[in-house]
Amino acid sequence: MRLTVNGTEHQVVAPALTTLLHVLREELFVTSPKAGCQQGGCGACTVLVDGQPRRSCLLPVGAVEGAQVTTVEGLGAPDDLSGVQAAFHEHYAAQCGFCTSGFVMATQALVERGDGDIEREEVIEALGGHLCRCTGYVKIVDAVTAAVRGDTSPQDASADTDPQGDDAVTLLPGSPA
Amino acid sequence: MKAVGARLPRYDGIAHVTGRTQYVDDVRVHGTLWCKALRSPHHSARIVSIDTAKARAMPGVHAIVTHQDVPHNVYGHLEALGVPADEPLLAAEDVRWKGQPIAAVAAESEAAAQAAVEAIEVTFEEREPILDVRTAADPDAPEHFHQWGAIYPHFGPHNHRRVRKGDVEAAFDAADLIVEGVYRPQAIEHAPMETQVSLVVPEPSGRLTIYSCTQAMYFSMGVVAAHLQWPLNKLKFVGGTVGGGFGGKVDTATETICALLAIQAQRPVKWRFTREEEFLTSSTRAPWHIEVRDAVSSDGWILGRRMLTLHDAGAYARFSPYGLTKHAFHHTGAYTIPNLRFDGFVLFTNRVPTTAMRGFGVTSVSLAVELHMSRVADQLGMDPLELRLKNANRIGDTTGNRVVMHDPSTVPVTLAAADAAGYELGEAYRAMTPDRRSGDLLPEHLVAQQAPDGEHLATYRATNGGGR
Repeated sequence: MRLTVNGTEHQVVAPALTTLLHVLREELFVTSPKAGCQQGGCGACTVLVDGQPRRSCLLPVGAVEGAQVTTVEGLGAPDDLSGVQAAFHEHYAAQCGFCTSGFVMATQALVERGDGDIEREEVIEALGGHLCRCTGYVKIVDAVTAAVRGDTSPQDASADTDPQGDDAVTLLPGSPA
Repeated sequence: MKAVGARLPRYDGIAHVTGRTQYVDDVRVHGTLWCKALRSPHHSARIVSIDTAKARAMPGVHAIVTHQDVPHNVYGHLEALGVPADEPLLAAEDVRWKGQPIAAVAAESEAAAQAAVEAIEVTFEEREPILDVRTAADPDAPEHFHQWGAIYPHFGPHNHRRVRKGDVEAAFDAADLIVEGVYRPQAIEHAPMETQVSLVVPEPSGRLTIYSCTQAMYFSMGVVAAHLQWPLNKLKFVGGTVGGGFGGKVDTATETICALLAIQAQRPVKWRFTREEEFLTSSTRAPWHIEVRDAVSSDGWILGRRMLTLHDAGAYARFSPYGLTKHAFHHTGAYTIPNLRFDGFVLFTNRVPTTAMRGFGVTSVSLAVELHMSRVADQLGMDPLELRLKNANRIGDTTGNRVVMHDPSTVPVTLAAADAAGYELGEAYRAMTPDRRSGDLLPEHLVAQQAPDGEHLATYRATNGGGR
C-alpha cells in the first residue's frame, strides 16, 4: 500500500493490522514517534494523519492507506526550526525529550487549526492525554500557548521570574495538562 | 560564573524538538534479535524443574538462557561496599516475587520470542507469600526463604540502622504531651515514558557494545562484568540519553540478560519492556511503615523523638540499606530535636525489589515528619508554621548524626513560603533568622546539643577549601 510520510511516498508491505507506529519506526526508520505505552494512553506516538493528530500506536496502517503522514522530522530542521519547534526550544519545554515529539505534533495541529489568541485553559484541554513524566507541564503550556499565538521571538532572561505570566492557570495534582 | 542567571540553550534542546535525539530503542543494528523473558507467575514458589527443549526447537529462536548459563548468577548491588550478594540474575531454586525472570529468549521477532517463552515448561511448588512489610517479621508470618530471613542483617554490628542521641528516656519523662503517629507511604512506580531497554551488539573484536538507558553507566558496566566474569575493557557502554528514569534506571534491568543472549547467539539482541512489564516487574519506590512518638512541652518544644521505620526491600536487598540510611539521617526533618532514638529495619517481602526514586529514602521520612509536625501542632493547639519555626534548625545546631549546621535554610524558607501564601504569623516568628540560638530560643534542653560558637565556621571552612 502507499503511504506518504513527510512528503516522501513509500510502498509499505506490512499486514493491514500492523500499527502505523510500527511501520514508521521499524520499516521506515522514522523514529521520532515513541512507543511510550502502545495503548493510546500517553500521546508520545502522536503524528498528523492528513493534518489530524492521531495516536499512531492504535492506528492500523491499513486504515490510513494513501494518507499524508507528518512527524516531527517533517516540520523543521535543526538550523531551520518550525514555529512550534522554536517555541518548545525557547521555553525549555523538553526535559528528557521522550514525550516531546507527541506534544510538538499535537501543538502543530492546534496551530494549523488557527485559533490565534488561545487561552491557557484551552491549551490544557487540547493537550489532555499527553503525559510528561518529568512533569514539565508549565513550560510545555507556555510553549504551546506561545506557538499558537505565533509568538516565537526569543525570550529574555527576566521572563523566567514569572514564566506563567498574568494568566497563569493552576495545574491541579492528578489533572496533567 | 558566567552561566548563573544567564539564559543558555539546552545542549540537547534542538535534537529533542526536531525528533533527532537517539534513544536506545531508536538505534538500529542490522540482524538484531528480540528478547522476551519468562517471568514468575507466583509471588513465592520453589522451582521444581525448568525445561527449555520445546522452546529451543521453535522457529526463529536463536538463544535461550537460564540460571545455568550465567557465569556468576548471584550478585549484590552493594557488594562494592562489603554487603554480601543475595540476588540471582535468573531464578534458580526458587522465585520470590511475581515477575522475577527465570529464563530469556532471543528470537527473530518479539512475537517469536514470546511464543518460545510460552513454550518453556516450569514446574512450581507454590508457597505462601509475605506481602506487607508491617507483618513481615511477625512470629506467625509465613516462612521466609531469603538467606538472611526476614531482616537484612548487615548494618555494621547491628541488624538495623540506629541513631542514638541525648537522653530520650529523660525527654519522655519531662514531656507534657506525647504525640504518636503512624505513616505508610506506598510503593510508587517511576513510570518513565521510555520503558527499560537495552541493545547489546557482539563485536568482531570479542567485545560487547551495550546501548543502555541506564542512569548509572559505570555502575551498570560493573554489574554486567560481574555476572559475565568479564574484564571491564571488553564492555563498551553507550548511553547518556535517558527517556526518564527518576531512580528506576539505577538498577540494571535488561543489559546483562541481553549480553548473555548476544554472546550465545552471536547476534545483536534488544530487549525493551512493554508498558505492562514496566508496571508489573520493574523496581518501584518502596512502601514504608513509619511510627513516630514525640515528647513535647506545652509551650511547643519537641524534646525528644522515638522512631521505628520498616522499609520494604521487596524480595532482595539491592540498594535498600543505603536508602534506609539516608532515611535515618533525615528523621528529624528540618528541625532540631536533641534526644533521639531511631531504629530502622530493612525487611524482605515477596514484592518486586524496591529501589531509588527522587530523594531515595528521604521523601518517605519527610512525609512522615511533616505530617507529624502538623499533628503535634494540632494537639498543642499551636499554629503549625509557628511550631516549625520554633523548632527549626539554626546555625550551630547539631543533627542526629552530629552534623553541625552552618547554613540551615528552614527559617528563611518557611518565612518565604508563608509570605508567598499570604499566611499570617506572629511578630516574633516573622522576625526570626537562621542565626545561632540565644535568649528564648535557647532553652535549657537545647544547650548541650549546640556546637561551640564558631565551630560551624570551622566545619564550613574545612569542607569548602578554606572558606573561599
